[in-house]
Amino acid sequence: MVAPVFAVVGHPNKGKSSIVATLSQNDAIAIALEPGTTRQRQEYPLTVDGKTLYTLVDTPGFQRPRRVLEWLEAHSVSASDRAETIEAFIVQHRDDRGFTDECELLTPLTEGAGIIYVVDGSVPYSAQHEAEMAILRWTGRPSLALINSIGEDDYSDTWARALGQFFQVVRKFDAVSAPFEQHISLLRAFGQLEPAWERPLEQATTFLLAQRRQRQVEAASLIARTLEEMMSFREKRTLTTLQTSELPDDELARQLRTSWYDNQRKREQHLRIAIEKLYEHHRVERQEAELEWHSEHDLFSENSRKAWGVNRRYLATAGFGAGAVSGAGVDALALGHSLGAGALVGGLIGAAGSYFYGDRLTLPVLNTGVLTNGLRTATFGPVQDSQFGYVVLGRAINHWWHISHRNHAGRDLLDLAPADNHWLEHLDRANRQVIHRALARCRKQRALDEKTRLALAGAIEQAMAAYDNWRLNRA
Amino acid sequence: MPESTIRRLLEFDDQVQRDRDQSPAFLHRRDRRFALDCRDKGLAPDPDQWLQHVRNLRPSLPADDTLRRWRHLTAGFALVGSIAGIMAMLGLLFYDGGQRINLTVILAFVLLQCLLAAITTIQAFFGWQPWRWLLRKFSGTPASTALRPLQPILMARAAHTGGLLFGIAGLITLLVLVVIQDLAFGWSTTLDTGSDSYYELLAFMATPWHNFWPAAVPDRELVDATRFFRSNSQGAADPALWGRWWPFVTMLWATYTILPRLVLLAVTALHTLIRARRELARHPGMIALQYRMETPALETGNRHNDAADQPDTSTRGQLHPLPDGQVLIRWAGAGEPELPDALSAGYQQIFTAGGNASLEHDNGVIEKAGKALASASASPGAVVVTRSWEPPTGELADFLGQARKSWPVRTVIALVPMAAEPDQPPPEHQLSQWLRFAARSGDSQLVVSALDMASPQGRMNRALQEDHK
Repeated sequence: MVAPVFAVVGHPNKGKSSIVATLSQNDAIAIALEPGTTRQRQEYPLTVDGKTLYTLVDTPGFQRPRRVLEWLEAHSVSASDRAETIEAFIVQHRDDRGFTDECELLTPLTEGAGIIYVVDGSVPYSAQHEAEMAILRWTGRPSLALINSIGEDDYSDTWARALGQFFQVVRKFDAVSAPFEQHISLLRAFGQLEPAWERPLEQATTFLLAQRRQRQVEAASLIARTLEEMMSFREKRTLTTLQTSELPDDELARQLRTSWYDNQRKREQHLRIAIEKLYEHHRVERQEAELEWHSEHDLFSENSRKAWGVNRRYLATAGFGAGAVSGAGVDALALGHSLGAGALVGGLIGAAGSYFYGDRLTLPVLNTGVLTNGLRTATFGPVQDSQFGYVVLGRAINHWWHISHRNHAGRDLLDLAPADNHWLEHLDRANRQVIHRALARCRKQRALDEKTRLALAGAIEQAMAAYDNWRLNRA
Repeated sequence: MPESTIRRLLEFDDQVQRDRDQSPAFLHRRDRRFALDCRDKGLAPDPDQWLQHVRNLRPSLPADDTLRRWRHLTAGFALVGSIAGIMAMLGLLFYDGGQRINLTVILAFVLLQCLLAAITTIQAFFGWQPWRWLLRKFSGTPASTALRPLQPILMARAAHTGGLLFGIAGLITLLVLVVIQDLAFGWSTTLDTGSDSYYELLAFMATPWHNFWPAAVPDRELVDATRFFRSNSQGAADPALWGRWWPFVTMLWATYTILPRLVLLAVTALHTLIRARRELARHPGMIALQYRMETPALETGNRHNDAADQPDTSTRGQLHPLPDGQVLIRWAGAGEPELPDALSAGYQQIFTAGGNASLEHDNGVIEKAGKALASASASPGAVVVTRSWEPPTGELADFLGQARKSWPVRTVIALVPMAAEPDQPPPEHQLSQWLRFAARSGDSQLVVSALDMASPQGRMNRALQEDHK
């Protein structure tokens, strides 16, 4: 079975390349508000294990539709020869520079491609497009019209009425902001154009949905690993006796602190890149975003803590859960004779500790070791406050959310504005406790075993879902 | 066998660590390809084949010394165990011709060995690591994460090996001493224990071997005869009886010191094998690998990259004041339904062209406009009003090219892009595309003007003058 091909055609500058970029998850397609940015047709196949399920073809826009139509009408006798006349036009004008774009965009249609005709619904309807639509109708191929939206105004209803006269299906689809569910729905609509195309398109959407689910799992795992590394990170330096005497403790602490901060920021940036790569975003304008982020929402600033940290009540609840688990160990040792008192006492201790000490973004302290063999080791970290972990987690999930909801046609600066609510409170209690316990273990420099790591990644995945819900409800 | 399983686990973990910085899409492609190749060959892909496949595709790596470290540690335990075994047996069998060698002490020591062997195994099963400090001290680099759960078992294996060598060295020492010395065994205790009870205890302990070596099972007479007391160190027994204990001691040592260690070493080896296999199966990298091998690799068409091939959007041209003109042409429906008075007033003729009009109609417009422009005395000018948001296409370029050929050479053609709201100026980015279009045409008489740059008042005055004429 031959995989369906869809040629994305239309007037210049109506977002054809944006549609293709979003549907093929390719942020390396040249997109510009300049006619002629796409000069040749380009194929973007979706393959599964090397087998193509469908192909999108990006094409240049119509430049001389009335001339083409005039030629076609002059060379056709009846409606039955129209498709052949189009082929003849291409053969005739293959080397004609005046019709390069038309030949490029019509060629895939003569080879059996379906038509995806793109218009901009943010500008008024114009009858000048009717020549283009008439040519497309001459091809006799199954067709679908997409109303993209480049600007802020909305004339889509007028467009929909006009396009309905020429095309089988008319859909609205904003290439830059359409959510993933709409991508899937649009692909299914492509499959409806011809009975033979339904199955490959259905398969493609199934794979795309599975890929998206898997990406979320992998993103959670990446965040969990970074969180563990950042929470347990120690800056270490070995000094000779001479260095020890020359370098005052204040200066040593300052140097180590600076280095510690730099490393933490680098690690966070690595996570950003890894998440972006995971979602096939290779060209996110992070430089500007990073500067903006650092000046206004620095990882270690008080503002950051207010935005991404959690409140005392949250910490007390999570601390109670974590303490209760430890206390339950006492009950187990007492073979249940303590009637759960261990869990209660452990929980109360955990809650009190978290309540009184958890609200301060305590910096890690300088720790200098004893002089051994003329060498002394000074360490800085790990951070002694779980709030740090929540700040890192909040920022990471916020970034993930923006990246996972960013379409590949988007070229704007990634604006990572901080949240104005403690969204993590939407997470269920059991997962809160998993996160809290893992953060506490890292803080105490106790390595996480694989089971705990998996549990942490699972809890973070749930936190991502909670954040998504919170965003949805907020919107 | 356990060694190879552990090596496989370590190699797998090492590869997973190497893959950490690879893109998920690449890893998926690589592993799915491997799985498909296996399927083509009629094989079920497993970690061994996968490791072999990955190994074949990369340059050989220096051997990891993690296991060598454990081998050294085990050898150290074996050496210490052997020396300690000899020393312990020499101590236990120290006989200077005076005091008898007390069987009770040997019994207690053997039971202690049993207890230690049991504790070693239990701590391995429960994962206790009371000797972790020892590893930290002697290990230069931190252990691989994958090996961490196996550490208690590996340590138990080292301890059992040491214990086994301790037992064997002790046994050899015992036999050598039996040959070269005349050892005098007896039994003694402060407790109020009769020889009957003591005999029953010994007979019970000798149960494992009483069938195949009856001579190593003490009889009641021997027990009665070889009891000695502190106040009567010589005892009353026949001196030949003192030496008859050595078969019992030999079997006691072999059965309760060597055999348990041997059995537990085998159990630990099996435990290591099972645990290493389980760790490999549960390794997060294995779960991910299975997923990648089982799930088809999806390529969404994102390999093509022309991001660097952007058009030149630098705009060098500038807006010109709207020139005086005789002809106004509305291109492709611009200014529908009605042109603003400020723009339409003062022209001799207003035409429509482009859009859904025919090419023949456009040619007619060029001809009629040409006549009007030819009759203009000094400065012929034509204004072409366009929709600012629609990009200039080849059709407009053709129209202007044809007009330029027909109209007087001095004719200034002004393109006036209009916004969707006629009273609003077009946005900057829309004006830019028209300026670039005019610059690309290479026609110095083709300019771009904006509606708001014409003074409505001046245009009205000019219109009044035209009417007056």
